[in-house]
Amino acid sequence: MKNISYLFLAVLFAFTSCDKEDETPAQMNVKITFDNTLNGNPLELNQEIFTLPSGESFMVKKFKYYISNVILTDSETNTQYIETDSYHLMGQDFNSSIELGMIPSANYDQITFSIGVDEVANSRTDQTGDLDPNNDMAWNWNSGYKFVVLEGEFIHESTQERTGLVFHIGNNQNYATVTLPLSGLAAGKPASISLETAIDELFSNPNTLVPSNLASTTVMGGPVADQIGQNYADGFIKAN
Amino acid sequence: MKKQALILLLSISWTWACEDQGQQEILAENDPELFVPSISKSLNVGSFPQPDRNPMSKEGVLLGKKLFFDTNLSSNGKVSCASCHQPQLAFTDAVPLADHGVTGIELDRHAPALFNLAWNTTGLFWDGGAHDLESLNFGPLTHPNEMGADLTAILTYLNQQKEYLDLFENAFPATPIQSATMSRAIAQYTRTLISQTSRYDLWMNGEIGFNSIELKGYEIYQANCSSCHEEGLFTDLSYHNNGLDESYPDPIDKEGVFLGRFRISHDSSDLGAYKTPSLRNITLTTPYMHDGRFASLEEVLNHYSSGIKQNSSLAPQLKDGIPLNKEEKEALITFLKTLQDDQFIQKHLQDNPDLP
Repeated sequence: MKNISYLFLAVLFAFTSCDKEDETPAQMNVKITFDNTLNGNPLELNQEIFTLPSGESFMVKKFKYYISNVILTDSETNTQYIETDSYHLMGQDFNSSIELGMIPSANYDQITFSIGVDEVANSRTDQTGDLDPNNDMAWNWNSGYKFVVLEGEFIHESTQERTGLVFHIGNNQNYATVTLPLSGLAAGKPASISLETAIDELFSNPNTLVPSNLASTTVMGGPVADQIGQNYADGFIKAN
Repeated sequence: MKKQALILLLSISWTWACEDQGQQEILAENDPELFVPSISKSLNVGSFPQPDRNPMSKEGVLLGKKLFFDTNLSSNGKVSCASCHQPQLAFTDAVPLADHGVTGIELDRHAPALFNLAWNTTGLFWDGGAHDLESLNFGPLTHPNEMGADLTAILTYLNQQKEYLDLFENAFPATPIQSATMSRAIAQYTRTLISQTSRYDLWMNGEIGFNSIELKGYEIYQANCSSCHEEGLFTDLSYHNNGLDESYPDPIDKEGVFLGRFRISHDSSDLGAYKTPSLRNITLTTPYMHDGRFASLEEVLNHYSSGIKQNSSLAPQLKDGIPLNKEEKEALITFLKTLQDDQFIQKHLQDNPDLP
């Protein structure tokens, strides 16, 4: 299978190099869009129409996350575009795309980014842009940033009451780097990379979380936060 | 004369080097005047640490001092940093738990004294949660029961004041006013709060003598207190459970504030552990402990001699307490009084325009 795709790529390259090389613009405009989902459906804030993987009814009130250190790779030519000062605060009813702007042309077939901010950026909060503490993502009693914020209300299994659920996940050990394959990007052509988050993945794989069973439904650090960090490290963001 | 020669030299090199000559000359003239405070040997510290991104300048300190005393930064216009950190009290507020924030709701921890902060590189706040002063400032500024500030509203306010526009331009030339620069200026100012001119310092520097009780007190301090309150800064800048409580409540809405350093480290040996406060100016910073539970030094010493509560995270040095008799306690307190730094207080009163 791999061989076939390499062959396909090689053929593609052959064509591009013969026909289009002279015409390929040196730069291409690239943006990355994020669609947020729950239960496989587009996320809507303050709507009582979602359930968690555990089956509990769930309403999301706030969902924000940092995407940082974006890299695009053309694995055939080993070309990389590395965005500098790459910190992006994304969220539902908030920023939903990252404009990389005009970047060097290549047949990018991989995207790498991190969820959260790296240790250096996470060590202080007197920063600007998307890291400005005005954004309500900086901790004021524990220097650093919330990497993923999910706030909402679920129906507690035993009390049947609407119960607040607050995930503020940060700390360096929960900085997660993800690499995803890309398809359809061609050197010199404007491209929109479409990614999707699945809130379900915060609650499962590898750690199953049932909010009704949590000792505390406010999670801002400690073992449960780290479990959520492990969960979002894989499968939380996928190519759409 | 030297400066002129330097400028001439630089001008010549710019003429050769680049096209932005005019602009760079202006920048050079407007550059903030960097300085490093002089440090007494008696502080027992090497250099003056400060982050590369925020070197101290005269202009930055001037701006920081104005911000520190400005009540307009708070949500109701009535609370400044100095409301809880009053210069005449070595930057404390004389109450166990302040209720003079914008909501009037009592805080959970006692306002710590502010001095010799530059050397607090192991974390700030009682639990060390703030990595540096530049990051710390956003805590009290935005805490709903402290200054309750909206950082965006602060920027709007600062941008409307001609005086601030000038001060910011001088301290951070060609940079828009941002939360980051505001916090950096306050950090520069609080780093200038250096207490190093107490009678103890004069004694250490050979300028005065101690009487026999002070000397005895100093020996008692060295034998019993100096492992945590290390001589010089009079703190080891570390975190210890000093046996105040057997167990620690953890109400869900308090984000672990009663758990001590554990809140930050999630290490069970840090349960109930707080940062060792300096003994400098201790006569001015009553009441004592992270929650201000002890009103006097006598109460503190009674705690150490007979009040230690045992649990698994207790600092091992305190397992048997620090038994001192009445006479020893009095001598120790006499020594502690020599750590009061009146010159430091005078220098940093709000109305004193002398900046270091």
